[in-house]
Amino acid sequence: MSVSSQGPKAVSRRFVTFLLLGVVLLTASPGALHAYNLEDRVQRVTLENGLRVLLVERHTSPTVSLYIRYLVGAVDDGEGKTGAAHFLEHMLFKGTSTIGAKNFREEERVLKKIRETGTALDRERMKGARADEAEVTRLAKELKELQSEAKEWIVENEIDRLYSESGAVGLNASTGQDVTTYQVSLPANRIELWARIEADRMTNPVLREFYTERDVVQEERRQTYESVPSRKLMELFLATAFTASPYRRPIIGWASDISFLTPDYLEAFFKQYHSPNNTVIAIVGDINTAKTLEIVKKYFGSIPSHKLESHHVTKEPTQGGEKRMELVAEANPHLIIGWHKPTLPSFEDYVFEVIEALLSKGRTSRFHRSIVQGKQIAEDVSAANGMPAARYSNLFMVTGTPRHPHTAEELEQAVYEEIDKLKKEPVKKQELEKIINQLRAEFIRDLSSNSGMASRLSYYEIITGDYRYMTRYVEMIEKVTPKDIMAAAKKYLTEENRTVAVLKKKEKP
Amino acid sequence: MKRTLVLSLVILLISTGLGLAEQVEQPKPASWADPERLSYEEIKFSPPKPERVVLENGLTVYYMEDRELPLVNISFVVGAGSVFEPPGKEGLAEMTGDVMRTGGAAKLTGDKVDEELEYLAAPISISMGMEYGTGSLSVLKKDLNRAFKIFADIIRYPTFDEAKLDQEKNLKIEELRRVFDKPQRLAFREFRRVLYADNPRGRLPVIASIEKIERDDLASFHKTYFFPRNLRIAVTGDISKQEAVDLISRHFGDWDDEGDFGTAPLPKPQENAPLFFFQKKVPQSTVIIGAIGPGKESPDFFPFTVLDYILGSGGFRSRIFQEIRSNRGLAYSAGSFYEGRQGYGSFGAYAMTKSESTGQVLSLMEGILKDARESRVPAQDLHLAKRSIVNSYIFSFTSPHMIAFQYMMLEFQGLPTKFLTDYPSMIDAVSREDILKIAEKYLDPERRTVFVLGDESKFDEALKSFGTVKRVN
Repeated sequence: MSVSSQGPKAVSRRFVTFLLLGVVLLTASPGALHAYNLEDRVQRVTLENGLRVLLVERHTSPTVSLYIRYLVGAVDDGEGKTGAAHFLEHMLFKGTSTIGAKNFREEERVLKKIRETGTALDRERMKGARADEAEVTRLAKELKELQSEAKEWIVENEIDRLYSESGAVGLNASTGQDVTTYQVSLPANRIELWARIEADRMTNPVLREFYTERDVVQEERRQTYESVPSRKLMELFLATAFTASPYRRPIIGWASDISFLTPDYLEAFFKQYHSPNNTVIAIVGDINTAKTLEIVKKYFGSIPSHKLESHHVTKEPTQGGEKRMELVAEANPHLIIGWHKPTLPSFEDYVFEVIEALLSKGRTSRFHRSIVQGKQIAEDVSAANGMPAARYSNLFMVTGTPRHPHTAEELEQAVYEEIDKLKKEPVKKQELEKIINQLRAEFIRDLSSNSGMASRLSYYEIITGDYRYMTRYVEMIEKVTPKDIMAAAKKYLTEENRTVAVLKKKEKP
Repeated sequence: MKRTLVLSLVILLISTGLGLAEQVEQPKPASWADPERLSYEEIKFSPPKPERVVLENGLTVYYMEDRELPLVNISFVVGAGSVFEPPGKEGLAEMTGDVMRTGGAAKLTGDKVDEELEYLAAPISISMGMEYGTGSLSVLKKDLNRAFKIFADIIRYPTFDEAKLDQEKNLKIEELRRVFDKPQRLAFREFRRVLYADNPRGRLPVIASIEKIERDDLASFHKTYFFPRNLRIAVTGDISKQEAVDLISRHFGDWDDEGDFGTAPLPKPQENAPLFFFQKKVPQSTVIIGAIGPGKESPDFFPFTVLDYILGSGGFRSRIFQEIRSNRGLAYSAGSFYEGRQGYGSFGAYAMTKSESTGQVLSLMEGILKDARESRVPAQDLHLAKRSIVNSYIFSFTSPHMIAFQYMMLEFQGLPTKFLTDYPSMIDAVSREDILKIAEKYLDPERRTVFVLGDESKFDEALKSFGTVKRVN
């Protein structure tokens, strides 16, 4: 298990392209591929409490991949509470009242005091310069003592231990803007252990070791954003490109918000969104569908669902002119450009999928041919559709690194030349064919792993409400015409609709 | 608006003591079994073995059928890595691999290769590592003949076009300029340099060495190391054994078995090395304690694998993670890694922590390693490590290509076939005494390499309190 990957992923380009591009349809594929129809192999069951379960039997090896996705993410964080969804995901590894507890009654008593003391400490710290230093010291000391007391009643990292001992691989979780995911692969005979643990943490999580974990998240922030200027640029770019949409906020949260997140808030957040009717499970591997469903029903079937508040999410207003920002740092230049556009499953989103592939899929893509190999002014330049996430209207984005001594400005102009070409010249048939071939072959390759299949099925089910979005993807892509591409480029890829972020190298004094 | 209101009401309720926790009746897991007591049907699984065919010229092929998808997957391993680069030309192995792929093959230009492969959606990749190189082709069955011809030409007849070499050199130089922009990556790179000091493995590409590399260097590196007995191929997928053997014989059967097997001295632990320090203005330090560990063929490999698991690679319960992250909140990434290679292994314990706790973390890590040398691990730690390693072992056999690839690598590394089948029982046989002995032998503080990257002005404790410090930048 990679310990460093228990973090936000949706801001990483890799994650999104992996999900959005890696999937294609089968029914439209030629010849030999007819035999492999995914829709026929997927069992989709909805339990009485609204929990949706997708199952696929695959008997290649005696292993199984299990994904749980909740329709909750950073977009649901309250004002001043950025990072809540992500922090909660960390906390759900801390155990339940029956997992990781030596004596839960005793522990609960201490936890209550920890919560009170920690909240009081935060309240004092919040006063900033006007805080009573003596009080801060006193409370911090008290909190530390309570934390050691609590340790007597707990078994640390018990969820991880139970899974590891059973031979789990890829035990992980991730929080995106849209979705929170808990995933693991196990030997196929251990499905009941998974159900026991997951149903328990879906209902009875204990937010133990809260304040220590809050420090861990600050270290995560330091490691993944503060220490890496290009990541920091991305964070600031999104904060600039979106004025009102929740996508303007970082998944991991702003440092000051993280430092004041409370157990009370996380608990309320948990209860509001972690309901079976807001959840999708995908199970792919060496399973017996009927037996597996029995286990799922036994553990998850009795979890009551509650009515989900359908809350309004602020819509991004139309952008009325170019926005630009600059980050000065001790690092080489970096460029990000983003244009607002509608999200899936609108037809225009499929058009942008094609545009992304035209511009930057492979060595024969337009960016690579013209900018990396032709002009040779960039080390890398690539396009990504659907950033930073897909529940709400999002961005078509281009990122690049100029090659010294060339500048971000030169690279920016070269990108615009390619964008202009999209507006002026219809794409040739052969180029479109190439893209469809690539997407189709990728789809087939992606089906060769249990975890890949479980990931995709559950993602599209929770985001679009129907996993068949992915099985019908290529069929839709095939409908995109050269005219559609020109129209979308003209409509969206304009100066007024774009945001540009540049990392400028700080000259050493 | 409405949502914010609802949320704040909820918070208010809870903080005044009327929490939802008490109001909502949660299902009690009372009826659920203790997760410890669940019982499982036994899994009986003996992974299939690939078939092995040796061509007359010595080229070895590993084959397994896999008809699930209309795909054929092919991989190769070649005994050519950066360890064989002449001094001053660091980066040559990587450039050779890159330009084999991009610089044209037989009668095709590099651009034409790209066009054909991308139209067929049949990616070919070549990657040259430290000890060896690997390559792969994945192709739809219907396009196999065309794509395999290109693959074979790339392996046998790369043309190393000058212009493409220039491009790849320029890209590599830009990558090297940017190494400093990602502190953690930089730290592990610099750590490698000091861990393998005085060994070819510690010589890393720099801008000057890339600039010196010429087309003839690539051609000669290729000619020396790419030959039948120094290369192995694994083929799996929607293809019969006969088809696979015919295909490979057609393209490789007449290949002369001429070339050199590279040799390089093995790395040795350094005696009483100073603490290596790289100054960089960053808010978070990277701390690594490294050691030269046992090779994969050594009997020490198994106990060391278990030791590494207990120390830091075994997830949340491993000691470094649990102490530095879970107990103290001092890091997000903290753990250890171990890779057994031919004749030696590399080990490192690491953590990334804010500048202000750099000294504290280094002390904690030293303490954990000291403890491993001085006291036997508790039986339950050993039990967890063994069960975890053995139970997850089936994940090494989840696809036919993975299996064929492993057998290919096994033989390439000179290990007996039974290594794969005996692995679980060898892990199971490791005792607490074995681990203690192995920790004493390989984690001796006088034979380790300690490396820190960070901003000295913010450290909680001066590094010199840990011993002699050597600035490396």
